[in-house]
Order: sequence, then C-alpha cells, then structure tokens
Amino acid sequence: MSQRIEVITVSEDGRAKVLEQNLAKTGKKISARIVDVYTVEDDIRNAANLQALSKSFVNPVTQKLLTPGDEGDFDWALEIGYLPGVTDNIGHTVSELSNLTLNDNQPVYSSQVILLKGTLNEADVKQIAAGLHNPLIQRAEIKDAKQYKKDGGMDVIVPKVRLSNDHLVADDVDLNISDAELTAIGKDGIKNPDGTRRGPLGMSLLYMQAVRDYFKKLGRPAKDIELEMLAQSWSEHCKHTIFASPIDDVKDGLYKHYIKRATQEIRAAKGKDDICVSVFKDNSGGIVFDDEWLITDKVETHNSPSALDPFGGAITGIVGVNRDCMGFGQGAKPVLNRYGFCLADPNSSPEFYRGKGKQNKMLSPATIMKGVIHGVNHGGNCSGIPSPQGFLYFDDRYAGKPLVFAGTVGVIPRDINGKKGHEKKANVGDLIVMVGGKVGRDGIHGATFSSVALDEGSPATAVQIGDPITQKKFSDALIKDIRDLGLYSSITDNGAGGLSSSVGEMAGDTGGFEVHLDKVPLKYPGMQPWEIWISESQERMTLAVPPKHIEKLQALLAKRGSESWVIGTFTNTGKAVIKWHGETIMDMDLDFIHDGLPETPLVTTFTRGGDAEPKLPTFDLKRDMLAMLSRLNICSKEFVATQYDHNVQGSAVLGPLQGKGRVYAEATVSRPVLNNPRGVVLSQGLAPLYSDIDTYHMATASLDIAVRNAVAAGCPIDHLAILDNFCWCSSEDPERLGQLKRACEAIYDLAVLYQTPFISGKDSMFNDFKGYDANDNPVKISIPPTLLVSGIGVMENVDQAVSLDPKMPGDLVYLIGQTRDELGASEFYAMHGKLGNNVPETNGAANLAIYKALSKANKHHWIASALPVTLGGLGVALAKKCIASGLGMDLRLLSTLTLDKYLFSESTGRVVVTIDPKYKQDFEFLFAHDAHYLGIVTQDPALSIDGVKINIADLESAYKNPLKDF
Amino acid sequence: MTAKSLVLTGYGINSEEETSFAFETAGFNSQIRHINDLAENPNELNDVQVLCIPGGFSYGDDTGSGNAFAQKMRLTLWDHLKKFVERDTLTLGICNGCQIVANLGLAPAIDKKYGERFVAVTHNLTARYQCRFVDVAVQDTNSPWLTKGTKLHIPVAHGEGRFMMADETLKTLKDMKQIALRFTKPDGAMANGEFPFNPNGAMDDIAGITDPTGRVLALMPHPERGMFNWQRDDYATLKDRARREGKALPETTDGIQIFQNAAQYFGIKAANEAA
Repeated sequence: MSQRIEVITVSEDGRAKVLEQNLAKTGKKISARIVDVYTVEDDIRNAANLQALSKSFVNPVTQKLLTPGDEGDFDWALEIGYLPGVTDNIGHTVSELSNLTLNDNQPVYSSQVILLKGTLNEADVKQIAAGLHNPLIQRAEIKDAKQYKKDGGMDVIVPKVRLSNDHLVADDVDLNISDAELTAIGKDGIKNPDGTRRGPLGMSLLYMQAVRDYFKKLGRPAKDIELEMLAQSWSEHCKHTIFASPIDDVKDGLYKHYIKRATQEIRAAKGKDDICVSVFKDNSGGIVFDDEWLITDKVETHNSPSALDPFGGAITGIVGVNRDCMGFGQGAKPVLNRYGFCLADPNSSPEFYRGKGKQNKMLSPATIMKGVIHGVNHGGNCSGIPSPQGFLYFDDRYAGKPLVFAGTVGVIPRDINGKKGHEKKANVGDLIVMVGGKVGRDGIHGATFSSVALDEGSPATAVQIGDPITQKKFSDALIKDIRDLGLYSSITDNGAGGLSSSVGEMAGDTGGFEVHLDKVPLKYPGMQPWEIWISESQERMTLAVPPKHIEKLQALLAKRGSESWVIGTFTNTGKAVIKWHGETIMDMDLDFIHDGLPETPLVTTFTRGGDAEPKLPTFDLKRDMLAMLSRLNICSKEFVATQYDHNVQGSAVLGPLQGKGRVYAEATVSRPVLNNPRGVVLSQGLAPLYSDIDTYHMATASLDIAVRNAVAAGCPIDHLAILDNFCWCSSEDPERLGQLKRACEAIYDLAVLYQTPFISGKDSMFNDFKGYDANDNPVKISIPPTLLVSGIGVMENVDQAVSLDPKMPGDLVYLIGQTRDELGASEFYAMHGKLGNNVPETNGAANLAIYKALSKANKHHWIASALPVTLGGLGVALAKKCIASGLGMDLRLLSTLTLDKYLFSESTGRVVVTIDPKYKQDFEFLFAHDAHYLGIVTQDPALSIDGVKINIADLESAYKNPLKDF
Repeated sequence: MTAKSLVLTGYGINSEEETSFAFETAGFNSQIRHINDLAENPNELNDVQVLCIPGGFSYGDDTGSGNAFAQKMRLTLWDHLKKFVERDTLTLGICNGCQIVANLGLAPAIDKKYGERFVAVTHNLTARYQCRFVDVAVQDTNSPWLTKGTKLHIPVAHGEGRFMMADETLKTLKDMKQIALRFTKPDGAMANGEFPFNPNGAMDDIAGITDPTGRVLALMPHPERGMFNWQRDDYATLKDRARREGKALPETTDGIQIFQNAAQYFGIKAANEAA
C-alpha cells in the first residue's frame, strides 16, 4: 500500500515567510506552514526503515516527521503535487536515497502541503492555489481543517503513469488519399482508430505529397514511425526551411546567401588572423581562445514551451543548450551560461484564452516572468555553470509568446590525444549508445510544435521539465573523465526530435543506422514505438562507440551514477532501419530523410513603417530623466542577477552588477581557464522596437550594440565573433518575410564591415499567439520581429577589462561618437506613446573606426570606465554611470539638437567614457572629432547637466525601484 | 614538505576544480576525487592531510541542501571519516560542503560528538538564491584555517545558507569559540541580521563554524571565488587605483588566507613563496 511520509518544519521557514509576505501584498493577512511530502508507492514497512531513511530528508534541528496534531492551528490545507508523468526531481532523489539506504528502489512522488491560517473562504484558497501551481503539470487539492482532520490528513495520491496501450505496434498509414486528407494529417496528425489525431506533424501539403510519392515508389504503405520521423527531420525547427528556401531572387536562401557567406568572406579576408575554427556545422560554434584552447558558443530559444510552462520551458532551455556545448566536437566543458527574456509588462494583466469560450487561459505576464527566471535559476545554478550575462526586454506583444533565450559557452582543448578537439566522426560498426535519462512521453511533437503558432491545439505533452543533476552526473563523467580516454568516436545532443534527430544526424557520417527500439529504456510501459523514437525526454546524449570500448565506457558511466544503453549500430547501407521486437518498422533511404524535402520558393514584399516625427510636450530634465530610468527596458534587473550564480567556477572578472552602485551591465568578462590570464567577453544586443519602422535598422542596431558592448568592456574588435537568433512571427506572410530578408541583408553588410564572423545561429519563425480575448473575440498577437545578436570575444589579459563605473573625481567625461536626430522607435518616444520616423541608422564605417580606436585605447589602459549608449540614449548612460560609482558629474552639453533629443536619441556607435586627465592628449588625439568632452566626474553625488542637478539618490531609486519587488 | 588535499566531487557538487586549484596555489598536492571512488577505496584517507567538500548542488538540493549527500557519505564512509577527523588533519566544507558537514555532524560536533546534528543550514530568509560579495569577520577562534581578527571580502552563492540552532547550542558555540566567521557590514560593524550584509538571515550573523578542535571548518561563503584580485567585485576599482599609483596589484587577495593557513599548518611553502 502506498504511504505518505510527511515532514513538517517546526522552526521559522524562509519559504513560508516569503509566501506570507507575497500574500500580504495582495491584502491577505495569513500565516503559512510548509509540510514536505514524499509518497512512496509501497509502504516503507517498519519504523526502523523509516527512521533510517528519514535521516536523508528530516533535519532534526528544524524539522520532524509529522504526526497528527503537529500541524498546529490552521484553517485550510492546500497540497500541490505533480501530475502523472511530469518530471519529479525530488521524488527521484528520494527514490535513489531509498535504494541507497534500504536497498529498495521504489518510485517516490514529492508534493507540498501548505497549511494556511487566516480569514479565508474556499474561493480565496482556490485563488491562492491558482497562483501557486500550473494546472498543465501540477495538481492542487484543498481541504478545510475540519475535513483534513476528519480524513486524517490529505489523500494518498500516487501520480503513476498508466497507459492503456495494449496494442504496441507500428501502424500502416495509407497515403493514397485525397489532398484534403493529406493536409489534415500534415496539420493535425495521423488518425487514431477512434478518430482523434495524434498531434501536429507540421507538414505542408507539398511535403505530404513528396512523402506519398516516395512510398508509392517503394510500393508499400508508410509506417506511422516513418511519417513521424520525416516530420521531425523536415520541421522548420530542424531544417530551418525558411532560411534555406529560395527567396525572391536569392536562390541559395537567406542563410547561405547572407549569414554563411558573411562568415566565409570574413574568414578569407582575415587570412592567418582568422579566429573561426568550427562554424555552423556542429552543435555550437567554436573560435580560437589561444594556442591550446577553443572557446565555443551557442544560443538557443525555447519560446513555445515557456508560454505553457514557463519554469519547465526555461529550465529545459538552459539545460538543453548546455548539451549543445557538450555536443561540440569531442565534447566541450560548459563554462558560462547566458540568458535573455522578452516579456510583457509584469504589472499588466491582459486576459487571453487559447480556446473559445474562455477556455485555456494564458498565464499572466508576471507568472510567465517569474517562471522563466526561476527556470534558468534552477537549471544554471544546479549545473554549476555561471550565468553572468543576460537581459530582460519588455513589450506587450510578448504576452502570447514570451521569448526565452539560453546560451552556453564552452572550452575544449584544441588537441585531444593527437586528434583535433573540434572533430568527430561516427564509424561504420560503431554502437549507438544513449546516455542519461529514460524515455517518457515528454515533449512529443516538441519540434513540430515549435514550428507552428501557439493555439488551442497546442499539446501539453510538449511540456518538459529538466533534471539538471542527472545531466550534471553524465556531463562530468563524459567531459571530465571519459572524453580524454578516447572511448567514443562521436557525440551529439538529444534535443528537438529526440533520437530521431540525433541518430539520424550522426548516421550521416557512416551512411545508415539500425536501431532496436525495444532496447530503449522507458520511464513507464505502454509507449508506442513512434513515441519512443521522437520523444524529447531531457538529459540524454547519443554517442557512437567502437564495440571494443563499450564495456569500459559503460562501466565508467555507471561508476559516476549515470546510466547508458546500447540501442543499435551505425551502418553504411544507406538505410534508416528500425526494428521493434524483431519486426522491421522503418526502412527508408537516409538520403530521402535528409534531402527529400521539396523546395518551397518564397516571395516577399516590404513596406517601411513609422509615423510622422511627433511634437513632444515640454521637456523637464529631472522629471523626464527619472521617468526614463524607471522604464522597464531601462531599470535595474538586479533581482535576476543576484539569484543567478555568476561566480561559480571562480571565473568571474566583471560581473552582471558593476560599481558599488550595482548597475546591471550589458557585457561581462570571465576567465574560464583559471591558470590562463585570457578573458572571455560576452555581450548581447537587440532593438525589437525598431522593427516597427525598418527591420534593416533594427538588425544593424542589434549587431552594433552587441559589438559595441563587447568592445567597450575591453574586447579587441579583431577577436570578436557573433551569433544570431532570429525570432520572427507569421513567417508565411510575404510582408514578414520581406522584413526578414532586409534584416539578413543588414547583418551581412555590417558583419562584413566589422569583420565579426557569425559562428552559430538559430531561428524561431512563428512567434504568434492565436486565441480569444476577454470578450471571446478572436485575436492574434505577433511579437515584434526580434533579432538577438550575441557577442563572444577574447582579450589577452583580464586586466584589459573595463567596467562601466567612473573611478575618480576629477576624471574627464567624454561621449565618443556622433549623436543625430534619431529617436524613431526610441524609449523616449515610447514613453510619450509615439513611434516617430527617424529610426537610428547605423553608420558602420564611422563606428568601426571608433571601435578600432577603443580597442587600441584599452590596450594602453587609457579608459577608466566605459558604457555604451543604447536604449534610453546618452541621458540614461550618464545616469547609470553616476549610480554605479556614487560619484556625480558636472557636465555642459553642446549640441545643435534640443537637449531632450540630445539626451535621449539612440544613435548607434556611441560610448560614454571617463579617463584619467593625464591621458587627455593621447585620448583626444586618438579619437579626434569623435570625442566630445562633456565635463568632469565630481565628489558631489549629483548629476549636473547645464546647471540642473539631480541627486544620485533620486536617480538610483528611479532606476532600482520598478522591479525590486519581484 | 608537501601535503595531500582531497577535494570531493560527484552527484552535483560543482566547485571542485576551482577549490582544488586554490589548494594547489597554496602549495598542496591536490586531487579531485569522486565520492564513489573514495567509497570504493576509503583507505586513501589515511594518506590525506586535508579533506574538502566543496560547493555545489549535490542531489539538486532535493530534500534540503546537503541532506542526501550526507546520507550517502554516512552510509558509505562514516567510520573512515570519523577516524580522519580524529587524526591531526584538516577538514573544510564550503557552501554545499558546509551543509553536508553540518548534516553529517562533523561540525559543530559539540563535546566532540561527531555524527550528531546540532545545527541546520536552511532556506534563506529571502527564500531566494543569493549570489553576492559579502564581508565576513574572523572571530575569536582557535581554527588553524583562519587568522584571528582579519576580515574577508568574498562571495556567497546559496539558497540555503541560514544557520539555525537551539538557543543553548548557540550559547555553547559562543562559549567554546566555535563560531568562526560572522557576516558584517562593509565597515566592520555587525550585520545584525540586516539584508544584504547578512545574506541569509543566519542566527547571530553566523557565516561559519568549527568543531571543538577548530580543525573542521564549515563556512557558507566561497573563499576560492575570492582568492585572486581579479575575482573581486571591486577588481576594476582596485586595478584602476593601483595603476594610478604606479603599483602592481597583487595576484592574491582575502580568500587565499584559508588555503595558505592550511598549508602553513602542514609546513608547506607555497610554490610562489618558495621561489
């Protein structure tokens, strides 16, 4: 019989206190106590067993095993637990402890009871419960004290997965059907016998016809698993069809024509100074760190799952991109994480539903924000990878689909046992080995789902929760122990598409594979073969292992507490073959899987956006400055930075909060190899609002900001690479595709000019929400076309790092770069509810000259502090510098522009610096007409502009207050 | 003379490399050892002078930080551990290691009752992970790890770092000089529980404790993340000032003290000092 083991905290509990504080903010005076519950599937038999096991989850100083009456005085009990099949890391740990302590490896399920005391009716408690759990993955049970006592506590609930499938075979799917039927299969999935459909394949009619023709040629019906594999392999998510397709006159597609070509041209031009080593072809991109090491980088998005389960989506995003690092070459060690969130205003409460008739309510912006932040917190912190660098960006058009960016930087030796660290190749006869966790129904159709808009049919099974510790165990084993023993020939990550993608890709090396799908271990019985093959259960890597090494490899993994399974062999038959209990259920040509998808030529149109330049109300320096600092896109995100471990691995040099005033930085510096003085600079840039006027200038600004942030922090521009992440919307619309094409043209132009190569990228093309508003009217919310450019560069010695805070009174303040009347789509216009027309246009040649000069000045240590002028313009940059240092500034601003335009224009290419007066001549000579002297740093804690003083204390509270309660 | 330090890893411990690097910098022959390997060959402890359980997220902090890993050590290594601390050795638990040492009862081990749990290191009062530099003051302690009267500017990074205990335990720890480190304000004044100076709400601002001999130290802050000047949150300011004064900024800073003191205890000269 199943048994609840309950642990009550008897001393003050930080978790309960914060819950009380949060409830107090909603006007409820409630006291709370927390009971941690572990439900064991079979009872623990006797008191001695319980006593032994409980040592691992009861701290006798603050907790005790609950016996009736320990609850004390309470009015309501609220229990939150997981739904069946949802990853339960705590339950998993207790199960492991039970095995360790009692040699009893039985399933354990965790939950939490919150005992509430206060004046509350049932509706209040339901409302509290709604704020504390996500019904897609969790259950909430409520009892009043009377009922609780009458029942002797909460009910015993065992969320075990019970699949009623007794018919576990691969079904034939007849494709000799009408186009309408083919379309239906492509859109909603293969039909089950009961008429329901299995979920989206995300395949157009054109694709379905190609599949039909292929099987006609083979002279047999398709198996469901074959169709599912093709859907995964051909998905927008995996094949990037929009970037690969011919578009207008660009026959080789956007990716090859703009992104890849830029890198090729830059590499050729740089010749022996080329920093690229492995670009675009692997799970991450790799550049030179020094003669001994490469440094790798990859940035992913995990948007669609994060809209449904923000915590699970984000943790899966960060832990997933860690595997892209481990899957680089022979396996890179993750040394840094990055993050970025595009969200709706967390103080707003828009009401949207995925279904008609107020069904499937969208989560609130605050819930999404807290969830995604916490997801990266848990994933990054538990994995022991510092997460110094990131951003939060707000626009209400992210209400339907938040954007969650997650990136991981790695290091890998350039030479491993005489082989190049970045090279790997599966060989014919190598065993296919799956490492990590078992397979469940998690994330079925994740790849095809993220390639379509979010709507009512969005499958909840697409939601997964990461298990960072399982991953940490095999990550350490593979990267720190096994890699250097040369026991595997190739390694790749199981991400979107699961085994179907990883095995399919690796088989490209040998020309075929044979998998015995019944050898794949399952979390629970009853899964269909096609589900096993495309499941996106997390924490798995796929290895190609020569048979002679298999025993040693599996033994080493086992010694590190990691599991592994041999599931097949790489072959050279040209075929993708899957067997299921002896029966062949897949037999397709690998060529067809990889290259059989028909081309879909795309056409575009483009219309420039923008309004007339607005007439603005009278300018008040102090009032407007403080209002600007309080804007969500400008204010401090310290609450995120401090909850992300940014100095684990001991590598932090310039962190996310700089100066004693702790200003949130847009670039960070780390020293990932402790005995090597070199520094890695990370930066990011984005400007989605500019898309409302012209995506060309949005894209150049994004790239320019990423480059400028890195260079200002001390990265020489000649050792800087970039990554692109396109998050677009409605990518079937020629107008949106026109915007996309312009953005690609733009970053080709600017990257080639700056000689900063693209080394990796990713796109997410359908960030649209289709649903209903509070009045049940259909709505579609599309994100503003967003391009995130991430910079990664290397400085020779971390002593070249430049922080953003001024250092000494008496230092000179300069603005480097030209300020133009460019407030179109600026934060300042947005504050006034205007869009305008004069979007910042990047003068790449002029900016490049500045970045080269800055790189030189930094080599000489002339710059005491530097902060790029980005969102919010010069005024915001000056204020941030004062807040960071606690020192004031006395400035006289000379410009042909009016003061408000001069202070809040967002012209690109600019950096505010302070310098020691002894470098004045050298500095002014170097920067010539680009250096604009503004004034001096003062002891007096006030920013004084043309005689108008604003106290730093006022600047600081305007900057720090808006998000401090989150 | 050299001495061997063993830095444990496995199951989500994650600070073993930089912690081992700290011991090496101080002159130790330092080895990283997976818990399963040590459990398989526990006699290795006979040849070891320093055992360190570094920071991390063993078992993901599930069931309370350090609980699960402590259980694993208790079941697989307890007799060897007890013998180890009873020899003239040093033991260090940092952050997750501190939680593990407390749960194992290696510290405070009042009256040398090793194995008994006297303190809990539990959820921060903010119920949120805190990663930030703090100031801690070395108390009147007999610990060979620490230099009495010094202050350390080093970071914390934890979600569960709040020392809690019964009042009589606290009194004993005070009387027996087992409170090794306290959080302070930057000017050295007591933090008095005030956030962020005391980042977790620990009783009596406790940041670290020892066993009665002082040879077992369990602390929440991370000395290995604040042992070089370039790791400090005020590095940019320090290096700017040094440059203006025409001085070279020293390589090491506050956090190295702990590792150097351990080296000194075993008569090791650091490589850089010897040269």
